[in-house]
Amino acid sequence: MADARSRERSLLRKALSPSHACATPLELDDLADGLLAQPAAAPLTDHVSDCARCQTELTLLKEFENAAPAPDEESAVRWISARLERRFSEASARPPPFLARHGAALPRRSVFTTLNLGGFAVAAATLAGAVMIGLREGRAPELAQPSPAAPIVLRSAGITALSPFGDLDAAPNELRWELQTEAASYSVQVMEVDHAELWSAETRDASIVLPPALRARIVPGKPLLWEVVGKDAAGRAVAWSGKQRFRIRR
Amino acid sequence: MVGWGARGQQKSCSTPAWLVVSSCDGGVLEALSDADLVSNHLAAGGSGASIWLQELFRRHYTKVVTWCLRVAGDRQEAYDLAQGVFVKAQCHLGAFRGDSKVSTWLYSITRSECLNYLKSRCPLNDALDDEVAEALPDDPESRPERVLELHSSVQAAHALLDRELTDTEKRVFVLHYGDDVPLLTITRLLGLENPSGAKAYLVSARRKLARALPRWQASEKLTA
Repeated sequence: MADARSRERSLLRKALSPSHACATPLELDDLADGLLAQPAAAPLTDHVSDCARCQTELTLLKEFENAAPAPDEESAVRWISARLERRFSEASARPPPFLARHGAALPRRSVFTTLNLGGFAVAAATLAGAVMIGLREGRAPELAQPSPAAPIVLRSAGITALSPFGDLDAAPNELRWELQTEAASYSVQVMEVDHAELWSAETRDASIVLPPALRARIVPGKPLLWEVVGKDAAGRAVAWSGKQRFRIRR
Repeated sequence: MVGWGARGQQKSCSTPAWLVVSSCDGGVLEALSDADLVSNHLAAGGSGASIWLQELFRRHYTKVVTWCLRVAGDRQEAYDLAQGVFVKAQCHLGAFRGDSKVSTWLYSITRSECLNYLKSRCPLNDALDDEVAEALPDDPESRPERVLELHSSVQAAHALLDRELTDTEKRVFVLHYGDDVPLLTITRLLGLENPSGAKAYLVSARRKLARALPRWQASEKLTA
């Protein structure tokens, strides 16, 4: 029985694996967008129309492009995104290993830091050094550990977006997020998935009401993005929610 | 500094990257297309986590993370998987072709990482496979792979799938048998909302193929 199952698997895998004629994700994307130029387009179109493998790839690609968390996925996606954001910010602000204090061990699970500590830290030191050169003419560049007073603004804090997020039953009335202690005000933006801005506003609160004109443009099935950037008293960006995606169910 | 802009908006940022860092606020970064961000990151040396790269990845967190969550089905595993995707993306950013969309390129990396993850984590036959087998008649002659044994024709198998199955059945069949994706993962990836998810489509697909096989063999004999 197990042998038969294994043989069946092997035969089907062989039949359903991508062939040399199958389209790459880039070609599939171009084909779907009508961007593939002739003469390449015609044979590829013929192939895709008969190939279950290519049709499946195209479906997956579109699912990926429009991936928005379902209600039961929202909190996990938010948690993971916030951790990635934090990890990335830590990695970019971390001093190079030869300047790091002894004992400042890296988190064991961090793939970013494990694989890219050198790159991230050197970049941070390079940026700091370049700015120092500009500000202190005539002085030799120093490979100093970035100081809090240095005029580099790297977003190091995240803002937790509360709503809207994922698939909704109706157009949201407002955008909400958690207060960020470093932020004196917030810049909010709603945009299309290609990042074309639909609406933006400033507020000092942790929520903002969407105007009727914008709500009218939130139509079923169309994903939109929003994000909030926290700014300090001088107007510099200090915290960022990341792009949040939502749409109304069809 | 100008990005490729083959598909994105062709916006320029004339200030050198190392000076922009001191004054760049969210507005400047947001105005840049994905292609511009890649271009600026590479022009600034291409190593480390530049602000260009941070912004680029921020734009794509949701889709990559959602995808990884659907594949892994677990928050911590999905986090590790998503980290792996972005690390790989960073390592290979220099090979990114400016004439493609960053999201398509990221899809390729995400797909590859997720399949590797599944291969390393999942036994070839998940428990649902046994349930699928039990739901089908135990007739070796009516198994869909029989067409391959008889004719060793990949094209014949594809033609049979194409003619007999619905789009969703085809996708479930290809992902499960072609890529060894577990049925629960397929249910999540394709957003299937029926109670038994991908399993129902797989059982239905195999029944249809089993019914179609004798017809197909008969027509082959007639044309031979």
